[in-house]
Amino acid sequence: MSLDRSLPSAAPATEKPGAAPTRPVPFRGSGFTHRPHRHVAPLVFAALLILWEIGSRTGFISNISLPAPTEAAEAMADLFRSGMIWKHLSASLFRLTVGWSLGTLLGIAVGLAIGLFSVARAGLSPLVSALFPIPKIALLPLFIVWFGIGEGSKVATILFGSFFPTVIATYGGVDNVDRSLIRMGQSFGLSWSSIVRKIIIPGALPAILSGFRISASIAIILLVAAEMIGAEYGIGAYILMAGALYAIDQLIAGVALLSLLGLAVAWLIGRAEKMLLGWRI
Amino acid sequence: MFKMTRRTTLRRMTSAMLAASLGLGFTAAAHANDTIKIGILSLTSHSPSIIAAGKGYFGEQGLDVEFVSFQAAQPMAVAIASNDIDFGMTAISGGLISLAEKGAIKIIGGALQETPEIDGQKILAAKAAYDAGLTSPDKLVGHSFGVTTQGSSFHYMAHKIADKAGFDRSEIRIVPMQKVPAVIAALKSGQIDAWSIVPNIAGALTKGPEVVEIGKVSDYIDNYQVTTVFTSTKNVTDHKDLVKRFLAGLAKGIDDYNAAYVDKTLGADDVAAISEMVHKYVYADQPMDKAAPRIAAGAMRINRNAKLNLASVEDQLKWFQSEKLVPGGVTMDDLVDTEFVETF
Amino acid sequence: MELILEKINHSYGDMPVLTDISLSVGSGEIVCVVGPSGCGKSTLLRIIGGLERPTSGEVLMSGEPPADSLNPLTYVFQDFALLPWRTVEGNVRLVLEDHRIGRERVGAVVDDVLARTKLTEFAAAYPRQLSGGMKQRVAIARALSVNPAVMLMDEPLSALDSQTRDLLMDDLIELWTQVRFSACYITHNLAEAVRLGHRIVVMSRRPGRIRDIVEIDIPLSERPGFPTETAAIQRRLWEMMRDEARAADRELSDVA
Repeated sequence: MSLDRSLPSAAPATEKPGAAPTRPVPFRGSGFTHRPHRHVAPLVFAALLILWEIGSRTGFISNISLPAPTEAAEAMADLFRSGMIWKHLSASLFRLTVGWSLGTLLGIAVGLAIGLFSVARAGLSPLVSALFPIPKIALLPLFIVWFGIGEGSKVATILFGSFFPTVIATYGGVDNVDRSLIRMGQSFGLSWSSIVRKIIIPGALPAILSGFRISASIAIILLVAAEMIGAEYGIGAYILMAGALYAIDQLIAGVALLSLLGLAVAWLIGRAEKMLLGWRI
Repeated sequence: MFKMTRRTTLRRMTSAMLAASLGLGFTAAAHANDTIKIGILSLTSHSPSIIAAGKGYFGEQGLDVEFVSFQAAQPMAVAIASNDIDFGMTAISGGLISLAEKGAIKIIGGALQETPEIDGQKILAAKAAYDAGLTSPDKLVGHSFGVTTQGSSFHYMAHKIADKAGFDRSEIRIVPMQKVPAVIAALKSGQIDAWSIVPNIAGALTKGPEVVEIGKVSDYIDNYQVTTVFTSTKNVTDHKDLVKRFLAGLAKGIDDYNAAYVDKTLGADDVAAISEMVHKYVYADQPMDKAAPRIAAGAMRINRNAKLNLASVEDQLKWFQSEKLVPGGVTMDDLVDTEFVETF
Repeated sequence: MELILEKINHSYGDMPVLTDISLSVGSGEIVCVVGPSGCGKSTLLRIIGGLERPTSGEVLMSGEPPADSLNPLTYVFQDFALLPWRTVEGNVRLVLEDHRIGRERVGAVVDDVLARTKLTEFAAAYPRQLSGGMKQRVAIARALSVNPAVMLMDEPLSALDSQTRDLLMDDLIELWTQVRFSACYITHNLAEAVRLGHRIVVMSRRPGRIRDIVEIDIPLSERPGFPTETAAIQRRLWEMMRDEARAADRELSDVA
């Protein structure tokens, strides 16, 4: 009996032999999983903005350290009212598109060469590793001598900035193409160019596209540097001018424009991934 | 000593930025023991405070001085606004006006000024542009003109040239290059057509074959108040006495500066002693025998007793507003406090 | 066409992998190669298809392959090796595109092999949408489309569950009955070997050499009708292999 009492779970069994009472197994699997919360991000963003606005209005945030969000919004609205936004946007978009397109095209070409030919790998891959970490801003004075203070040096800055990450993404992608697929192609007697076009490039495409995300972000980061020299218009030039005039409302408006540009580019690349990589789930 | 000062200032600025981002107010602890921090650029025009410190004129006023070096005028203005330094001396820039509009800083006196009898700022042209017909500032129509940033004094000068020569301001293409060395490089290589700059730099440039002098700024701007003395609004309102003592010390430094370099009324030994002091901060990377002539070369007059040319300041403010580089609502009262020095 | 292996020896560095393998695969014959893991079966198959060079010995083809054979020696891989970015039809098309045989003929061949492998309705599906068995059907259709003289099948059913494996074996026999392809079929599964092989080559553990060759003269399509006979052969094979397999299992593996 005393034993029964010390084991309470066994106690009912002795009272009603053969018909033990049932109870559910406690659920222990909660937590540690992520569920999607759609509206949390905008709410956090809005809450931050409201706190910021209140801080600015009450003077808790000094007007030298940050403008109120409404002031930045007003500066943004001014850009639209005066129509200057289109001048700045078109100038920057031109530089971004030309520089990034040329940079990624060259980057894919060199990346493929490194991925496919051992001679190119031996010769170029250390060069890429050596040149990639150089801040392109540091080369700006040289770019000015080489390419002039016109569009040349600006496009070149962005071109070089997007070239290196694309090279690395591309040859990494080529290296990661499933070897068994290449062997399959060889076993069916596919030509070298068919294997490259139909197996290696599509296989490396996911890596190349994620390289695009990085190179596009770098291109936007470099926009400000590219527009330091001799740029009358452009979002980077606008931000620099705002900084020089200590017009921090315009500064924040310009930075917000860069953010929006980044979001737009990320969305476009997302679309491209959906289109080109539809086979991946 | 110079390096240490910079490092401590960096630390101070970091903590100040942190505090600023948290929105905390600043205490006036910076000059509790009457130590003042003066922001300087490595230019001869910043010598008066260096001389005043070196000759003990600030000490006479019960002030200990710490110098803080800056690369450009803009961060100096911001550092004064955040009370990290107390006094500075630079050209009137858009940034300075913006900070004045926010109630952070005030102009309290005048410094460098263009005067007809002294060699002032020069207008320069690239050789190629000169050969192609840009032989006088009146012919700047359709040419590019280098500036550091929009709203810099270079930008103002370019537009004043246009105004006086009688063509539209938009006929000059303003090319921002961010930094003076970049403008120099662009001018030398002919990528920009024209620029205006203080005489000692202009003199060095025109010695070479790439750059030609085509005019003087003083022909286009009357009595141009190139640089001004400014401090934080907090000092102006809460520490009037400190401001007065600083200006009194500075005035003696200005007299010595003008006597040594502009009017040249001092003996060679006195000039050498002064150059020795200045050399600690200006052309410090060069040996004394090379630096001394450069310090002396093309020194422009600094107003006695830091007198301020209000008309010129107002003209500059109007120009900034007409170009929509600063808000239209800024008044002269926002920008200048006239109680400390004589104005004209 | 007949495929003849003459005294194949192969080693990786100092490590002998295959010793003195002589074998032939006759026209219309399915030769199964069984052996414990690590006995060099897959290496042998790569050597047969010309993807790897043997250290010594030769693989010879005797007689002409069929005139319309686009790729006489064609592999079917264990991991299917389908391009995930191509549909079922596109995967089959891939191996025809390099041959100048005209758009119409490509279409006809693709339709034909898809019909024979019962994949017509899945022509537009992507590999990720298919089960393992269906994927291997696609790989087999792809192999059939080039009309091979010899199919080199590297454990084609090993990645599949046993029901799917049974179904696919039936399908393979049906396909063989239609076209009588020859095949060298590597497996470690004795049931597969007994069900599909005309001859079964038993290999020893590493270094792999031929231990025995067992011939089964019951026609493939009739084998389900002889359960006792096939079971007996399978038992005999297992007895031959058991000790080898046990020893191979206890070996420290230093080659993959």
